Amino acid sequence: MTRPQVLVLGAGGFLGLNTVHAALANDLVPRCGRRTRGNVLGLRGLGVPLAVTDFERPETLVEAMRGVDVVIHAAAHYPKFSHAPEETIARGLAELNVVLDAAATSGVKRFVFVSSTATVAPRTDGRASNEDDRYATEPRFGTYHRLKWALERRLAEERRFGVVIANPSACVGPYDWKVGTSSLLVATARGLRPPHPEGRISLVDARDVGLALVKLATLDEAPARLVLSGHDYDAHALLETIATRYGQPPPPAPLNAEAARVLADAQEAEAAATKGRAMLPRELVDLIVHAPALDTSLAHALGLRFRALTETLDAWDTWAMRMGILPPPRTQVSA
Amino acid sequence: MTDELPQRIAKMVAQLTVVKVENIKPEHRLREDLGLDSVCSMELLSMLAEELDLDVPMEEAAQVSTVAGAVEMARKHLAMKTAAA
Repeated sequence: MTRPQVLVLGAGGFLGLNTVHAALANDLVPRCGRRTRGNVLGLRGLGVPLAVTDFERPETLVEAMRGVDVVIHAAAHYPKFSHAPEETIARGLAELNVVLDAAATSGVKRFVFVSSTATVAPRTDGRASNEDDRYATEPRFGTYHRLKWALERRLAEERRFGVVIANPSACVGPYDWKVGTSSLLVATARGLRPPHPEGRISLVDARDVGLALVKLATLDEAPARLVLSGHDYDAHALLETIATRYGQPPPPAPLNAEAARVLADAQEAEAAATKGRAMLPRELVDLIVHAPALDTSLAHALGLRFRALTETLDAWDTWAMRMGILPPPRTQVSA
Repeated sequence: MTDELPQRIAKMVAQLTVVKVENIKPEHRLREDLGLDSVCSMELLSMLAEELDLDVPMEEAAQVSTVAGAVEMARKHLAMKTAAA
């Protein structure tokens, strides 16, 4: 697709800002969808066009999508807690339907949806999972996994325009204000020795995800689904690496899956009551416990590359320290 | 305009919290006293920048921790804007 007009939904957010930067680096000036009350400080400095995209006012979406060829949807519902799965899934689907209907009304040609590797199922033959590996039925665990599965199922039914689903693993990089999937890394870098389950963490540099989303928006023929992941790590070993890098004590021994689920649910209940955040969100427990090894052959075949962990951490902690999310370096060592 | 800033900012804080405008003081800390987490604090400062048409770097906004700090940030950038005009 030659120089399409692109709208990024959630442009002021973590992946949104990385996508906007990637688009600009590719001489593409995207229209940037933002909530009425979102943080757009990072966008204002870029001089990109902003458009209000309020999911409760579909007319704003239709207007923002006018003349747009490709929508990159980086603003799907992301539940803060996991204790209300049915409500969460209903809200996520309702919001997605509003966006899809607006795209159809506005004549959008391609819809690039940012999903998650939560929908990539482990294989039974021991090989790494790729785009063909999905849960045949709704996962029986985890609100986050169930939500993402339900959203992808809805997208599979869409016939009014082309749909491309990107499946990034845990994203790390600049602009992560909400400290979502990187919360265990932040806690470890702060010396808080966060509890965590046994399992696998797959990481990807958010800048690489941004570049991949732009590629998916501009390719003449895009794949229906694309796994985006840099590297797979043993969760505990990764946290040990982070602790060493930031001169902090090592993480505690990992919990088994059931103990981690119980702890995460308790922390979320407490956080919900105090309007805070859980150090160990249930979503992360489920992601780590059920994470498959990932095969990114298709992404590589498309010319995409994934940065090494050290390069990702260098960019992430430089940004996070400037923002006060991480303390200044004391005894950092190379990862 | 700068004399109205504390009141305007207090109104914005009230939109994002359950605290009434008249109870918001300059010395209040955005997080500890007003209950704004880091995301909401940045939303507040973004709203302020948009309302006053100011270009505030994210790094600078991230350092603001009180209502008075937000007022000071806005005053500084208003002065820069005026000087540049």
